Amino acid sequence: MGTCMHNAVLRLENLTKRYGSVLAVDHLNLEVPPGQIFSLLGPNGAGKTTTLEMTEGLRPPDDGHVYLGNVDVIRHPAVARLRFGVQLQTSAFFELLTVRETLELFGNLYPGPLPVSDLITRMGLEEKAGARVEALSGGQRQRLALGVALVNDPEVVFLDEPSAGLDPQARRNLWDVILGLKAEGRTVVLTTHYMDEAEVLSDRLAIMDHGRVLDAGTPRELIERHLPAAMIELDPDVAIGADPSGIPGVLSIERRGEATVLVTERLEEALVSLVSWAGREGRELRGLRTRGATLEDVFLKLTGRSLRE
Amino acid sequence: MKATWTLLAALIRVTVRNRQGLFWTLFFPVVLMVVFSFLGNSTSHINIAVVEAPGTSSPVVSVLKKSPGFALHRMDRTRALAEVRSGQMDAALFIPNTRTGGGSSTLTLRYNNANLIAGQETVGSVTAFIAQVNVALSGRPPAYRIAAAPMAKSRASTYLDFLLPGVLALMVMQNSLFGIGSGLTRWKEKGILRRFRVTPLKPVEFLGATVLNYIAVGFATSVIIIGLATGLLHATVVLPLLALFLVLLLGMACFLAIGFIVAGVAKTQEATIPIVNLISFPMMFLSGIFFPVSSLPKTLSHIVHYFPLTYVAGALRGLMSGQLTLVSGAMRADLLGMAAWLVIAGLIAARVWRWE
Ligand SMILES: Nc1ncnc2c1ncn2[C@@H]1O[C@H](COP(=O)(O)OP(=O)(O)O)[C@@H](O)[C@H]1O
Ligand SMILES: [Mg+2]
Repeated sequence: MGTCMHNAVLRLENLTKRYGSVLAVDHLNLEVPPGQIFSLLGPNGAGKTTTLEMTEGLRPPDDGHVYLGNVDVIRHPAVARLRFGVQLQTSAFFELLTVRETLELFGNLYPGPLPVSDLITRMGLEEKAGARVEALSGGQRQRLALGVALVNDPEVVFLDEPSAGLDPQARRNLWDVILGLKAEGRTVVLTTHYMDEAEVLSDRLAIMDHGRVLDAGTPRELIERHLPAAMIELDPDVAIGADPSGIPGVLSIERRGEATVLVTERLEEALVSLVSWAGREGRELRGLRTRGATLEDVFLKLTGRSLRE
Repeated sequence: MKATWTLLAALIRVTVRNRQGLFWTLFFPVVLMVVFSFLGNSTSHINIAVVEAPGTSSPVVSVLKKSPGFALHRMDRTRALAEVRSGQMDAALFIPNTRTGGGSSTLTLRYNNANLIAGQETVGSVTAFIAQVNVALSGRPPAYRIAAAPMAKSRASTYLDFLLPGVLALMVMQNSLFGIGSGLTRWKEKGILRRFRVTPLKPVEFLGATVLNYIAVGFATSVIIIGLATGLLHATVVLPLLALFLVLLLGMACFLAIGFIVAGVAKTQEATIPIVNLISFPMMFLSGIFFPVSSLPKTLSHIVHYFPLTYVAGALRGLMSGQLTLVSGAMRADLLGMAAWLVIAGLIAARVWRWE
């Protein structure tokens, strides 16, 4: 943060939105480099949708600016809209139009739309091209929404919770499509509250909570900045207190649902002292395993709670 | 502009595919007209219960008997009243015992009033007949005679003729009010509107296409209703096409504007239904669709006079009965009334309209 990217395709400056007494988005600053997948990761109510919809020119911010290249999106939304594509978190299409008709309708709203048949193939909707929207499954609707977001061959694509409500197989297919967008040189800005999704897709991500960006960077940067650490996990029934002072090298001991987690920055030293502690105390180290820190751990450290809560 | 037409074409497609919506737009007007056209044609003569002192026979009765328009049934007072009330008899004629020399005597006619038009017809026929009898009994030649000869292509004013402009007005109201008030709110609620707001489509283009769609539906339905009424049900009405087009358009514009107020105020489609019903039900029954506003109690008719549907129905009936044209003085009040509603409702709609 703080560093200014000169080539950012999207810049959010001081973006702020209030709903009554709720500060939904709180003086938010972000820069998105071109050609990458950028994720806003945060729990429900963090302000992701509000941020995205202000960026799309759909909700007026109380304060702040959004620049797409050098276009002021809030002042000139019509210009910006030609260059980005949007999948909203809550939106719908006419139930009685077919998939093809829907794509044609939206394509006709833009100069020089992509060929509808290409979009249908790309979204894997060939079999449903002539089917009405009312007859589509949740995953097919999601793909149609994504197809509509691409009709104008956009430079930047905004996807708000693109995998919400999808089964695991459909999510994986969707991830492939999103990675394909990046391969075509488009910039993708998406929101998610799934850690695995953020990890698989993001080149860079911003962790959001309570309307603020707690930190932003590549997944690796975030982990190294906040937890240059490794984790030792034990089964939760191993009787070990919360006090790490008897085990040199271990920074903290936390109980997290299905495991007891020992955080360390010097894994070897910590393991040696853990084993000798176990010998001294006569404990069995059931379920002993080690792993590196994940985004989940970073999120926990930054917000004090787990994403799933 | 191209975007408006693209969207309009899509909306018309959606409307035509919405079988249920089409059904309800057409069902009500068609059923109303068919039912009333049969009811109107069923009475070939007027049934009259004659109540007379036993043993007597008034000359009135013997003359009435000879007339093909009346079927007479002698009965006592109680039964006569009961049968008139239940509708078996159209009216009961009470004939007093004596006719005081020189003075006139009063024949009381109690008639069934369930159907206003039929009731008036009964009273009118009997009154005309009695007038004829009076003249005959006076022994003097009548001052005027009528030589009646049927016209080749005459226009009979049936109840259907009265009803048709009313049904058109009613359809115009329902189509516009439900279309915008309820349909547009549904699109808003489901997020269809927001999706268009992140495209280059301008808000006025979206609203323009939506309005044009309902106007197109309104005209198509009008053509079907008029075609059915004149072609199959033998309604005899005048059809000044340009004037009808303009009045229908103005009427639709009024109710579209009112629909936009509803869509602006309501958050969900569910919430619009009672609002739309609250607006349309009183007008449907009071605004001269089924019976003339003038037959309402005076105070009420003064209020009803200002209802938008009263203006629309009044203007359409004036045109279709052949009594008025667009430039008739009597038409001016209706046209001004609609224009006033359009402006006022339009201004309010512009204030309360919300995209979300
Ligand atoms: N239209 C609105 N009116 C009032 N409050 C809202 C509205 N939209 C969002 N909020 C509130 O703003 C906060 C952020 O919401 P949102 O941006 O939807 O979060 P997220 O997308 O991260 O789940 C929440 O507290 C939510 O309740
Ligand atoms: Mg959201």
